[in-house]
Amino acid sequence: MIESGLSAAIVNLASPAILFFALGAIAGALRSDLTIPDQAAKTLALYLMLSIGFKGGVEAHAAGFTTELVATGALGVLFSFTTPFVAFFVLRHVCKLERITAAATAAHYGSVSLVTFAAGAEYLRSMDVAFSGHMAAVLALMETPAILAALLVVGERSQPENGQYRAGLWREVLLNGAAVLLVGAFVVGLITGERGANQLSGFVSGPLFQGALCLFLLDMGLLASRRLAQNSQLNVASFAFAILWPVCAGGAGALAASSLGLSIGDATLFAVLTASASYIAVPAAMRVALPKADAGVSLPMALGVTFPFNLIVGIPLYHALCSALGGFL
Amino acid sequence: MNLVPKKRLDIFVEQHGLAAVEDMLGKSGFKGWSVFQGIEGAGAHGMWRQTGVGEQAALLIVAIGNEDSAQAALVWLEQYFKTYSGVATLADVSVMRPERF
Repeated sequence: MIESGLSAAIVNLASPAILFFALGAIAGALRSDLTIPDQAAKTLALYLMLSIGFKGGVEAHAAGFTTELVATGALGVLFSFTTPFVAFFVLRHVCKLERITAAATAAHYGSVSLVTFAAGAEYLRSMDVAFSGHMAAVLALMETPAILAALLVVGERSQPENGQYRAGLWREVLLNGAAVLLVGAFVVGLITGERGANQLSGFVSGPLFQGALCLFLLDMGLLASRRLAQNSQLNVASFAFAILWPVCAGGAGALAASSLGLSIGDATLFAVLTASASYIAVPAAMRVALPKADAGVSLPMALGVTFPFNLIVGIPLYHALCSALGGFL
Repeated sequence: MNLVPKKRLDIFVEQHGLAAVEDMLGKSGFKGWSVFQGIEGAGAHGMWRQTGVGEQAALLIVAIGNEDSAQAALVWLEQYFKTYSGVATLADVSVMRPERF
């Protein structure tokens, strides 16, 4: 098991996507002027959301509306809603973060990262491990509950009071571009099924998708290293949390998914989701919901530490864990 | 050349505040304003950077109008900045085509 885990980790490290991420991280650390224009990066992010959502919808169309989809979705919502309470406790009392910042950071860690999910799916494909398309729907379901949990943690008194804020918050939570495109593309895939898949096969998968993912991860590498270099607010405990939390949450996710009887591929993706931290949807929502939270802490933790850790170490680790659990449960 | 004295209000806010600030400017009596996207720099909350993954730099909203409009806007902004990030500055300017302000 250890040997296969190590070889899987080496395969992961030698994949173009990870190497491009490393290239971006090194270029950023060396202060190269390499940049991906932000509008291009936004377009790439939208393309990835469209592709992942659509492919998930097509596969869900083929598989039908199964009890496994409902059960996995419910488990995802449960994890997304409950983990911020635990994360808040640790961030507040162990990492000594200020209360509102701890709540906002907990929301980041309860929610999910689409790009980590995409990297996990590509890793499984490279290892010839099958997984269900409906995991994209689970990804979409897990984005929002963590935000609501964080608001419950801090309570009404810490939130802005005006009605305009309420409208803005719900718009940000429910109608942020990432969520709308991901869910919308899933529905389009679900409706069009194989016919739609044939029409878009060259666009949403294959070399085009791989290339876009590499380019996006290059940008993420640049961002992660620059974010980390710019920030001096992370204490040792916060840094440790950003590495240890995904291992614990990913382990819990792997155990829960394996206990539910999910395949090794699905369980791995579920573990990847529970281990990942949001750095797109949640920061935007927190700017509205908890404006006093210090984004200079939560974003470098999620983007600068947890994201690279999951990409390089986490994904093969969760796969190895799910493979081992699959043999026991 | 006919130059007329007016007030220029520069407002830095986060992306999510744009709709509320524009609504307020209209109600305060400003006939128009300009919005500049992707203002990068640094402030009390660290670096402001525009990136492709949800990090949105500040917006700069420039509005030119009369004293009453500017004061009404500042009263509103004082309350707004108790909750959200941002700053506002007020300056005396001289404008051409004063009927437009």
